[in-house]
This record gives sequence, C-alpha cells and structure tokens, in this order.
Amino acid sequence: MDKEKGPATHNQKMPIYNKDSDLLVIRDLHTHFFTPDGVLRALDGVDLRLPKGKTLGLVGESGCGKTVLALSILRLIPDPPGRIVKGEILFEGIDLLSLDERAIRDVRGNKISMIFQEPMTSLNPVFTIGSQIAEVVLLHQHKRAATKKQALDVAMDMLKIVGIASPESRINDYPHQLSGGMCQRVMIAMALACRPALMIADEPTTALDVTTQAQILNLMKGLREEIDTSILLVTHDLGVVAQSCHEVAVMYTGNIVESASVEDIFSSPLHPYTRGLLRAIPRIGGLRSGESLQAIAGNVPTLRDIPKGCTFNNRCPEVMDICRGEYPPVFRPKADHMVRCWRSAN
Amino acid sequence: MENLLEIRRLRKSFAIRSGVFRKITGYVNVLDDVDLDVYPNETLGLVGESGCGKTTMAKIILALEKPDAGNVVFDGADIHEAKGQTLAQIRRGIQVIFQDPFGSLNPRKRISSIISEPMIIHKTGSRKQRISRCVELLNMVGLSEDMLTRYPHEFSGGQRQRICIARALAVNPRLLICDEPVSALDVSIQAQVINLLVDLQKELKLSYIFISHDLSVIGYISHRIAVMYRGQIVELADAQDLFDNPMHPYTRCLMAAVPEPVPGLKSKMDRLIPDMDEIESSPCGCTYSGFCPYREAVCMQEKPDLVEKEARHFVACHMHAPLKGAA
Repeated sequence: MDKEKGPATHNQKMPIYNKDSDLLVIRDLHTHFFTPDGVLRALDGVDLRLPKGKTLGLVGESGCGKTVLALSILRLIPDPPGRIVKGEILFEGIDLLSLDERAIRDVRGNKISMIFQEPMTSLNPVFTIGSQIAEVVLLHQHKRAATKKQALDVAMDMLKIVGIASPESRINDYPHQLSGGMCQRVMIAMALACRPALMIADEPTTALDVTTQAQILNLMKGLREEIDTSILLVTHDLGVVAQSCHEVAVMYTGNIVESASVEDIFSSPLHPYTRGLLRAIPRIGGLRSGESLQAIAGNVPTLRDIPKGCTFNNRCPEVMDICRGEYPPVFRPKADHMVRCWRSAN
Repeated sequence: MENLLEIRRLRKSFAIRSGVFRKITGYVNVLDDVDLDVYPNETLGLVGESGCGKTTMAKIILALEKPDAGNVVFDGADIHEAKGQTLAQIRRGIQVIFQDPFGSLNPRKRISSIISEPMIIHKTGSRKQRISRCVELLNMVGLSEDMLTRYPHEFSGGQRQRICIARALAVNPRLLICDEPVSALDVSIQAQVINLLVDLQKELKLSYIFISHDLSVIGYISHRIAVMYRGQIVELADAQDLFDNPMHPYTRCLMAAVPEPVPGLKSKMDRLIPDMDEIESSPCGCTYSGFCPYREAVCMQEKPDLVEKEARHFVACHMHAPLKGAA
C-alpha cells in the first residue's frame, strides 16, 4: 500500500466505473452549504459504488451527511445555501450532475425514486392514496398509462404487490385512514410504480414499531428481486443493515470512512469508528452473554468544529500523531474493502 | 421487600369523539386492569409498541392524568388522593425524563436556571446552595460546570439528555420515570446515557421505570421487564429470565423482530410475525388472539389472567407453551 498523499493519489484511487456491473458510482463528491457563518462541508469527497441488483447500506449517526448524500444523487439539495461543488455521480453511465433541470426531472421518480423516514407526513393528506400513486405513473410513463384510469389500474397492482389487504377498497382511502406501516407500504408502492433502477430509502423504518419494521424490511427484500431494482438504504441501525444489505458504507462527518461487504464489516471491521459502533449496539444476544454496552467517548462533531486531520481523532481510542495532522487517504487492505484510517497503512 | 410504588387494578380509557358535535361514539381502553410493583433500587423495564399505553401509565404515575379506576400508591400514600403537602412530597419523590431532549428544555433559559427550577418550585435551599447543587449535579452527569451559563441550543442531543437527567435529580427523587430516554439519540451516545443511568442508580439508590419500545435497549438496564400489549401487561419477569424463556407469543414476536447485527443470521421472524391479515380480536377474549399463531378456541372466549407460571415469572396467556414445544 503506498502512502503518497494529496489529491493526486486520491484521484487514482477513485472507484472505476464498470458499465456492466455498476449501477451507481459516485466519485469525489463535494456538497457544501454556504452559510453566513462560513462554508459547511456536508460532503467532503465521497466515493461510493452500488452494484446492480444489490442493497447498499449507508450507515452513520445524525449529521454525518447520509441524507445530504441521498439528496445530492437526486439533485434535490436546496440551492442556496447548498451546492454540489465538485465530483461525479455516474448513473447508468450518465453523469447526473451534467443533466439540465428537464432531464433530471425525468430521472427523479422514474429511474431513481426515494422514500422518506416519515411515511405519515410524506403523503399528501388531501388526495387518496390511489391518485397519489397514479400521479407518478401519469407523470413519467405515458406509454404505460395514458389515461387516469389506466394509471389507477397500475396503482392497484402496486398496492397488491406491496401486500396491502383488499386493495380495491384501500385505493380510495386517504393517508389518515392508514397506519404507519401501511403508509410506508404505500410510499414503497409509489416509489416502485415506475419500476426504477434505483430506490433510495432514507431511514424507511425508523419511525415504525419493531414488528412493522420487520415486515417492511422483508417486503423490500422481496421486491428488490421481483422488480429488479437496487436499493440504497440509509440507516443508523446496524441491525437493519446486517439483515438486509449486501454492501455497507460507513459515514462520518461527510465522508465514507469504511466500505466493504456486509460480512467483512461485521466480521473484520477496520476503522475504529465502525468497531465502536458495533460494540455500542444493544443486542439481545449480547445481553445473554453478559456483555456490557461500550459507548464511543465524546460527541459527533458538528460541521462547524470538525477536528483537523482525521475527523475521528478526538474520539478515537487508537489515535496516533499522524491522525492529528492529516486526513487519511483511501487504503484498500482487500480488493473490496476500503478504509480511511492511518492504522490500516502499512 | 417493601414496595416503593404499587399500582393496583389501574384502568384508563379515552373517549372517541366523532361527527360535527364531537359526540362520544366509543371508548378505547388504554389501560386495562394493570397491576405493577416497583421495588426500591431496581429498574423496571416497560416495553411495548406505540399506542400500548406505556406513556399513559407514566402520566398517571406522575399524577398528570387521573385514572378511571384503581390506585397508585407511592411510599405508602395514594397519589391520586393526596393533596397539598403530601402531594408536593410525592411529586418531589417521582421525577421524569422525556424522550425528546430538544423539546424538553426551554430554549430561552440558561442551564443553571433549568436545573435549579425544580429546587425553586420545591423551595429547597438558598440561591447560593442551589447554584452549588447545580455544579454538583452537572459533575454527576458528566458535564463541566462552565456550562452553567450556556443555553440549550449549544448542546448536542446526548448532552441535553444529561441536562434533563441532572434536572430530574435536583430534588433527590426516589423514583425516576424514563420515558424512551435514548430513542432519539445516536447509537454511540445511547450507550453513554444508559451507562450513566446505571451508574447513577448505584450511587444514589434510585428506582427507575424505564419505558422503551426496544427490547434490546431495555435488556441492558432493567432488573425486571414488563411487556405491555394494548393496555395490558402480558408478561412480567426478571430480565434474564424473560430473554431466556419468553412465554407469551407477543414477547417472542417482539424478540424475533429486533434485527440482530449479525449478517446471515436468519431470524425466526417470518413465522412469528403476524402478516397483515389480522382476524378481529374477540372483545371478550385475549387481546392478542387476533395475531397469535398459537390461537385456540379458548383464547377467543376468555381473557387470560396474569398468573405466576414460574417463580417471579408472570404471564397472561392460555398456552404458556415453552419455546421448544412451539417451534
């Protein structure tokens, strides 16, 4: 592993786009927010790859930039104050950042769709769920459904697919008549109505009860295969990741600090932050064996007071001198295992 | 063991109103004959999904809501009968920490006045004594005293929850009700707050009622756990015992639904978690009968009582089948 520093090395280490196997490749993405108090680097050089037909889990604590990354892919960052200042987002071979407003609207909801954390507030309370699903189809896929009636038929099919009992009567319901879990099913139906190549799910189960969460995760798993879509699952819950993802990327203060297959992340985590997170999750199994919970010391730094050097250095139990001076570049101890930590340099 | 808190046959229902004239069209039973004890220096975990009545129970214990029937006795005095001095004494003895550390601190007040407010209300100490107590409390929860003059917005979620804890401890309570105290926090911070609560309990001989929807979190702090479902306690046991030998089908379902952070570990959840087609629970039978995979005729007709199936292990289920027999 070479130890050269600076942007030149970084560029060489960026993920290479493989047209056949990769659906989405993000290279060196910088999204900054320009506030009166200064520039906040919400994303600071993110590299990410999502293979076709897989689920990628994006894990991190609040404020680490998970949602900003999801919104950046869809170019939904509010401008001003936010702006994507640098980088590439290659989706099916096209750089999404080069598209004009018309072209990106054709991608949103059609090829890339998104579901949000709060199912109850993401649906419009004054329209029936049927018409809300139909709207997506009418807007994007004229060939499939030219009239409102045809679009409603598609909506009906979608409700069936997401496992809503008696869709004939439910299609005319308003969101307030449904439970949280049902609303999330409707959101998924809406997101998948156009059979997108990529579905971004931003904390889709955080607001739900555990039993409902288990149902929704099972549903998403089944649909990924059925509709042949890839999923970018944004979550803070490593349990959810273990149960439903193939690949994992761990985020901290606007950067991906470690990414690997789900087996590698859980069996041989390299970054001290990943290791800390894994030790901090309360587990039913852990309780049985009498382990105690180990917290990561300190707090997640806000974007205003990010430490110099490695941004984790003020909480890291294995901190070295070099960590305080320089941000670690990408190291690849294994072909598919990326980590940004000086400890992995050798 | 002398009970610190005794809850007996507690009932609470809320009216459903509908139509233009807000006529009462029905009632929801939020709490249905709940019996529960809290011992000194123990943590009682209360777990259940949203809407099962956990928070209503907390409000009734805090005398913020009146129950329809039943009583709550704290340290020998009935909370809902008490007046004047006695009530003030009780209120001093029971304090609360809420879920949302962002909404529960007044943004216009400095930390010093937030923490000393309970002491002012309960008229303890002079101004000087209150300030020195604030410093003591801040150190106790792991914050430094120069934070006294700051405002809530300058703190992160975990720090705010520490401030809430300091405020709750200001008047030396004996029982602390923690209503989902860590669910709004990040994983790495969650563990800090749980460990802090455990340490404070040892130091101050406190009792906790720890309310959560997450069985895995509650397991780390509780001595005993009560599982609630639709206003009833369906299982009550020592924490270790509950995890080793969950008896009620709902408890098993809750345990199976927690995603284990071990990739490839297939959970048993597919079988245990009810699908969407719930059959109507019969009104006179077991409340869980609509979902229950082990349902039999008796479950639809008779409501099971909470009985002591094994020593200190109570369950309200007609089946009480051990896990192996069911699988």
